[in-house]
Amino acid sequence: MSTLVTTITDGLRYKGKQGQWAWVFHRVSGLGIMFFLVLHVFGMSLASFNPAAHEQMLELYKQPVFAIGELFLAACLVYHAINGARIALLELKPEWWANPAKAMRWSIILTLIFLAPTLLIMAGRSIQHFFGAP
Amino acid sequence: MTTQSAPSGKTVRTVKPLALGRNRFERAAWMFMRYSGLVLIFLALSHFWIQHILIGTQALSQAQTVAFWGAQGNPITIGNLIFRLYYAVMLVLAMVHGLNGTRQVVGDYVHGKQIFMLIMGALTLVVGFLIVFGLFGLLIGAKAN
Repeated sequence: MSTLVTTITDGLRYKGKQGQWAWVFHRVSGLGIMFFLVLHVFGMSLASFNPAAHEQMLELYKQPVFAIGELFLAACLVYHAINGARIALLELKPEWWANPAKAMRWSIILTLIFLAPTLLIMAGRSIQHFFGAP
Repeated sequence: MTTQSAPSGKTVRTVKPLALGRNRFERAAWMFMRYSGLVLIFLALSHFWIQHILIGTQALSQAQTVAFWGAQGNPITIGNLIFRLYYAVMLVLAMVHGLNGTRQVVGDYVHGKQIFMLIMGALTLVVGFLIVFGLFGLLIGAKAN
């Protein structure tokens, strides 16, 4: 626990620039995806054993709090995918290490390009559903 | 890391290698994270896009799951088979990738060996159960209601 507190306080003090924040977000997004994955696999498996419980699980996903949650899930997934590709490619192709800042810039740009329309479509659809005329 | 004096009088540093057994496992885990990650980019993002953009969360139902997986007792179509294989590969890769990722994060902050083994043992059991539960569900198909 004390290591966790030290990690957070020293993490804020340490001026690692983008690389440090890319690492923090990669961990947080990974843990977030894993949390949903456990819930999701359990809920989907129920389709083969208990359809009523499966439908109940799906009804839960249709609640407003999950409509906000799925936006975070999209952000975690797209960021983790593109930052993960950057990490894997840099480690498999060490010669690309010549300009890591450029690779970082590209991963941020690509994340925004993929994420922006996804979030707009999903949020727009949810607003329509919860606040739109019936 | 140990420091010793070389015959020339200069101080040199040598790194003590990891025990080979653990080293081999960590190397395999490292390779797995890279290759499974590269495959999961395509699988997980296409899956998210199909469910959240093409279909939409509000339209999800048991009937939609049955349409994708095929119903128990019905003959399985080529489409059902492709979806089942797609989900089965994604299920195993994502779960193991997530389990190893969690192991690395937990290992960085939890230094007590017993509490580390307790957390990871419990998570490994949950993940193992879900992989078997999920694969078995995909094997038999969805229940029509």
